Amino acid sequence: MYIDQEACKRCVDCIPVCPVGAIKTAAKKVVIEYEACVECGVCRRLNICPQGAIKQVDPIPYPRILRAAFSDPMHRHESTDVLGRGTEEMKTNDVKNEFTPEVIGFSMELGRPGVGAYFRDLEKITKKSITLGGHFASYNPVMALMEDRNTGALKKEVLGEKVLSAIAEFTVPRQRALEVLGELIQFANRELETVATISLIARNNREDRHAFLRELEGHGKIFQYVPYPNGKVNIGMAVAGGRP
Amino acid sequence: MTHTLNRTGLSEKRSGEEIVVLCMVHYKNKEKSVRNMTELVRTLLKYNPDNFVGLPLGLSREQVLGLIPKGGIATAVFTDQEVVRKLVQEIKSKDLGISVVLSGLFSDVREICESAGLNEHTTNYSAGVFGKTSLLPDYLTLDITTQCGHALVSRHYVKDVVRRIKRGKLTAGEGAELLSKPCVCGIVNKKRTEEILMKMAGIESSDETTDDLTKEGDVGMSLKGEVS
Repeated sequence: MYIDQEACKRCVDCIPVCPVGAIKTAAKKVVIEYEACVECGVCRRLNICPQGAIKQVDPIPYPRILRAAFSDPMHRHESTDVLGRGTEEMKTNDVKNEFTPEVIGFSMELGRPGVGAYFRDLEKITKKSITLGGHFASYNPVMALMEDRNTGALKKEVLGEKVLSAIAEFTVPRQRALEVLGELIQFANRELETVATISLIARNNREDRHAFLRELEGHGKIFQYVPYPNGKVNIGMAVAGGRP
Repeated sequence: MTHTLNRTGLSEKRSGEEIVVLCMVHYKNKEKSVRNMTELVRTLLKYNPDNFVGLPLGLSREQVLGLIPKGGIATAVFTDQEVVRKLVQEIKSKDLGISVVLSGLFSDVREICESAGLNEHTTNYSAGVFGKTSLLPDYLTLDITTQCGHALVSRHYVKDVVRRIKRGKLTAGEGAELLSKPCVCGIVNKKRTEEILMKMAGIESSDETTDDLTKEGDVGMSLKGEVS
């Protein structure tokens, strides 16, 4: 994004709407800091500028286009044909059955909430996840960035690109899930230059539907976190009208 | 598309405060499911959600019905558990073969599933935020900004809106409306946002149940995860 200086009246109304604080005043001008901008498009979409001074380079060149692909939910990922960050994760698990009772799914979302992340931070997680035995989901736009699926290394030219968030998704055997979670928490706190949310996907046991939540609560006492009391539940509606 | 998992500030003390209903077609079934998805979106809208996909972009209900089913995903925010219970029953009776996710307090979702005879198939849990958490804003700001899973609601915009409310330039309701606009998925709970803004602006709330909005260290927000 950039501001057309001839059109801009310097009302500064656009400054607060930027999620990453990239709109600033400098030398009596309102400018969008090129490096900080993640091309999310919020400033333009809100129509906050009556002069129409907020503009986007079209087309955005590669690899900068990845900023829009990961940060602007109106931008469709070519690799997955899904809007947003381009992943279905557990939302359709009653159809695809990717998350079986034998595995736990991990979603490690770099840059969230509201900080942003460089792909070099994402690479730290993809590499670490592979050393921990993580099996990466193939239907995820992050896979299109990966240069070496054996090491988790990303393409070198993308590492300096910044996005609002990117999700590393992988599964591990259920019996190793808490051990992997503990390792990831310590790694994230030690190595990341940004924040990351960590979420876990469990196929429910019909007899004890929140058994894994209790395991997490116990694990959280050691690693000083409290699992949220809220989350997402796929209620099995796609399977024969949701019959249990 | 929408990632409603990591919303902070929900509490068992305010049961039923919000439930986001999300419907998604698996990508392999997208083309053949447009008709059923249209029926599903029509059903969602029939129950008058407080917010829904496309609303922040100014789309009318007719436009939503025309556009959203082809994309294979729809979202709607409800603030009445009983309404969601009836909605889920109706979707179940139509047997459309489309995945439905309920996002909210696990206890709320469980009650709805049990009353509808549904199976909680797969659950997504959040362990919280880790890494360089010193970069995060205060807890009440997070309770607003984390409502947009794509992080499009700026912390600076929240601060600006609170400032304008304090100066009498905006009501909290108007502020909530403004802050819901960047979230194109339509998953910001405007009622909850209004209550949080009132608290941030130092305005008395008429609703006693909001007196316990998130405080530092409350459940629903874990930010450290260091080994003790």
